[in-house]
Amino acid sequence: MIGLFRDFANGILKENPVFRLVLGMCPVLAVTAAVENGFWMGMAVIFVLTSSNLIIAILRHVIPEKIRIPCFIVVIATFVTMADLVMNAYLPAIHVKLGIFVPLIVVNCIILARAEAFASKRPILNSIADGLGMGIGFTLALLVISSVREILGTANLMIAGNPVFTGGLGFEPARVMVSPPGAFITMGVLLGLLNVATGRGRLKS
Amino acid sequence: MERRTFPGGVHVPHFKELTEHKPIVRAREPKRIVLPLSQHTGAPCEPLVREGDQVKLGQKIGASEAFVSAPIHSSVSGTVASVQPFIHPALGRQVLSIIIDSDGQDSVHEEVRPKGDYASFSVDEVKRIIREAGIVGLGGAAFPTAVKVSPPKEKRIDAYILNGAECEPFLTADHRIMLERPEDVLYGLKVLMYAVGVQNGYICIEDNKPDALREMRKVAANEPSIKVIELKTRYPQGSEKQIIKAVLNREVPPGGLPFDVGVMVSNVGTAAAVADVFKKGLPLVERVVTVTGHALVDQQNFQVKIGTLFSDLIDQVGGYKVEPGKIIMGGPMMGIAQMTAEVPVIKGTSGILVLTRQQADWGEPSPCIKCAKCVDACPVNLLPVFIGGYAEREMYDVAESMNALDCIECGCCAYVCPARRPLTQAIRIAKWEINERRRKCGKK
Amino acid sequence: MADYKVVVSSSPHLKTAVTTPILMRDVVIALLPAALAAIVFFGMNALTVMLVSVVSAVASEALFQKITGKAVTIGDFSAVVTGLLLAFNLPASVPLWIPVVGSAFAMIIVKQLFGGLGQNFLNPALAARAVLLASWPAHLTAVVGPFDVKTTATALVVMKTGQGQIPSLFDMFIGNMAGQLGETSALALIIGALYLLARKVIDWRTPVSYLGTVFVLTALFGRDPLSHLLAGGLMLGALFMATDYVTTPVTKKGRIIFGVGAGLITVLIRLYGGYPEGVTYAILLMNIATPLIDRFTVPRRFGYVKRS
Repeated sequence: MIGLFRDFANGILKENPVFRLVLGMCPVLAVTAAVENGFWMGMAVIFVLTSSNLIIAILRHVIPEKIRIPCFIVVIATFVTMADLVMNAYLPAIHVKLGIFVPLIVVNCIILARAEAFASKRPILNSIADGLGMGIGFTLALLVISSVREILGTANLMIAGNPVFTGGLGFEPARVMVSPPGAFITMGVLLGLLNVATGRGRLKS
Repeated sequence: MERRTFPGGVHVPHFKELTEHKPIVRAREPKRIVLPLSQHTGAPCEPLVREGDQVKLGQKIGASEAFVSAPIHSSVSGTVASVQPFIHPALGRQVLSIIIDSDGQDSVHEEVRPKGDYASFSVDEVKRIIREAGIVGLGGAAFPTAVKVSPPKEKRIDAYILNGAECEPFLTADHRIMLERPEDVLYGLKVLMYAVGVQNGYICIEDNKPDALREMRKVAANEPSIKVIELKTRYPQGSEKQIIKAVLNREVPPGGLPFDVGVMVSNVGTAAAVADVFKKGLPLVERVVTVTGHALVDQQNFQVKIGTLFSDLIDQVGGYKVEPGKIIMGGPMMGIAQMTAEVPVIKGTSGILVLTRQQADWGEPSPCIKCAKCVDACPVNLLPVFIGGYAEREMYDVAESMNALDCIECGCCAYVCPARRPLTQAIRIAKWEINERRRKCGKK
Repeated sequence: MADYKVVVSSSPHLKTAVTTPILMRDVVIALLPAALAAIVFFGMNALTVMLVSVVSAVASEALFQKITGKAVTIGDFSAVVTGLLLAFNLPASVPLWIPVVGSAFAMIIVKQLFGGLGQNFLNPALAARAVLLASWPAHLTAVVGPFDVKTTATALVVMKTGQGQIPSLFDMFIGNMAGQLGETSALALIIGALYLLARKVIDWRTPVSYLGTVFVLTALFGRDPLSHLLAGGLMLGALFMATDYVTTPVTKKGRIIFGVGAGLITVLIRLYGGYPEGVTYAILLMNIATPLIDRFTVPRRFGYVKRS
């Protein structure tokens, strides 16, 4: 049990895919202009990551070593297609906003990285725990980044189509924050702050 | 008259007004002299005398079998007090030295007698006389002159440059020699040209010494093969590679020597010393030393017996006016800081410079702002801004790939740096590390 | 003889009197004529914007260094230069919180987070202006004309849209036209730049190649090169931004490439881009290219001959 919990918690802070491993930057930078987009992207990643980890862990003794990457990709692509179709059916508005970035989860480094580094070598339950943990860590990071960007960039926060702060926050929104440069700036500053907070910011002398 | 110069470099306040109009005076007879057995580039000498031996002025007391070396002669007559390690002003460590108590008589050794006209000797004999007289380059590097005038046979030498640029601030020894002994300088150059077999001589002087230019032109007027060249006052005009570039527009290749482009370069003081050998027979036992700096009561150009202690000379200009901050052998750009004034004048000592505390305080370095003043100043086209940075971070292989070994350590980059970064110092360390690594790899 | 403790270090032992604060102070002095012109043409609003910008730049740097436990280096005048340059890139009528936010962004995000003085890869004032322009375009493009507070189209907007009247060349030269507060007076900027050239603080290569490229290209494209030189932020950019030490090449050849590249991008944006003015982006893009330019313009080794 302790092992399972450790594998789960690992992805949330210690090896957070966004702030520690700095993997899967493409959606991190692209879909974090609004909290809602970030949340649904995170959900899709949790689903794909956990499911693909599960299947790959099951098949880990069957998949031949030499062609393992194509095998992983086939598994991942299957789940991505499922996620894409489901979102298209039930969340059409979000699906339009996320656009190409849902199919692009196939090539998201973090998913392949967990398949290669974890699921293909570890038991099924541990792999599920790892997939969940990594997915939740990824989602949390997206939520943090997108809330900073949305608040600064629109002076408000939209959840399920309703503004959280009625009447706005009373400052003129910095539009740069909801444009691509804002993603880089937010990501960089948050990464730096986290390193400082956890004592990683010190230079080796 | 056109003034020649080289690309890069810096304009340094030259502070020569302290001593440039002061004639050379003979320094007080030293009571005791210290003669390190290594005063030149090359193999150190073996002592030829022992404690208690009587020596005479001009007697050879140290010699070496090695080709690249120069014998050492006593500059006084007296008794050898001891042969023991003594702190060396250029090497900064203890070096075996002969210490002689002077009897004040200056009785001259019997071998010291005028050699006569150089043209009556063969080229090989001239070289042997120069070697036996212990003559080395007096500009500071102290490379044995006899070795210099014996380049590899395949090198065709067609020009001899006599370096009277004296681009180091504060120093006026060469300036005074050219003013007071222009005939000897010219004579020495003719001997050197005869030894190498070249037809073109150039005496090169910076334009901040118009009187020296005038004097040298006067004596060289009847010498069709010798030209006096006026150089722009710009540091490091007197550096070998730069003066060749300025005068002949030839560039010594990286890692090469002047003879690679068919040139020999000697200092005007060296030429005067060569003249002394032939005219008076005197080996290299004396030289002109500028004792200067704002921390001293007075400043002076001295004719000094080699082996005299710095402290003795400093006493003779009245001692320190204010607390000294730095005692330097040579000029402020390339000279060597001393731990104490109790070190002897050696053959390569062109000056003794004492800076005040304020002048010696370099201040804390601030961050590099990439102003590129060092790039503009570097006379050998390096990028000190990057090489210095890599050197400070101990990334010596990167520094090497940026040609750190080409650095001539002239000090221009550190001088101009507005952030007070010790660039030259860092690059010097990098060069040392790179050479050390190469040496180790070579051994394996 | 008494023994003294002396300093022992390796050569050189002599140093120039010119230090970083002196260089920065010279740049501030060189910016004063343009600041004066701004006050003349745009009134006390311009002065207020400049003061707010400088004070907040200095305060941001000091605050950041205090918080992060670094030595406070506001004495080197570099924050003053950045604050003043940022103000020069703002309209005189701008709300005062804009320079505060801009200065803080310039000093903290662009400069200090990358390691402080000498380590930033973008010109802090220009990067801050780009961010301000992207965030609050309405405030930054609402430039006012001289001697009144009416929002007026700049000469470049007129050239782009063809609507309105371009000021006379003389008015453009002395600065009697609409624009960001410090950029309009070519005369004042040139006086400042000449001072810097005379003091050997800046090199002629970047400004000359930058202005020259713009002149030649606009002439080739059949536009009036003189109005293009005098309009917009070109003079300010070429003389004071493209000559920033930290973010421009160190080699002589590199400085020329920098100027030509910036000129090319400026002209392309002005004539074919979506914005009427391209100096900010031109210089920022060349800032990013600077390490590359330095790498490819290493001077020939002294004495090195290519063997044929």
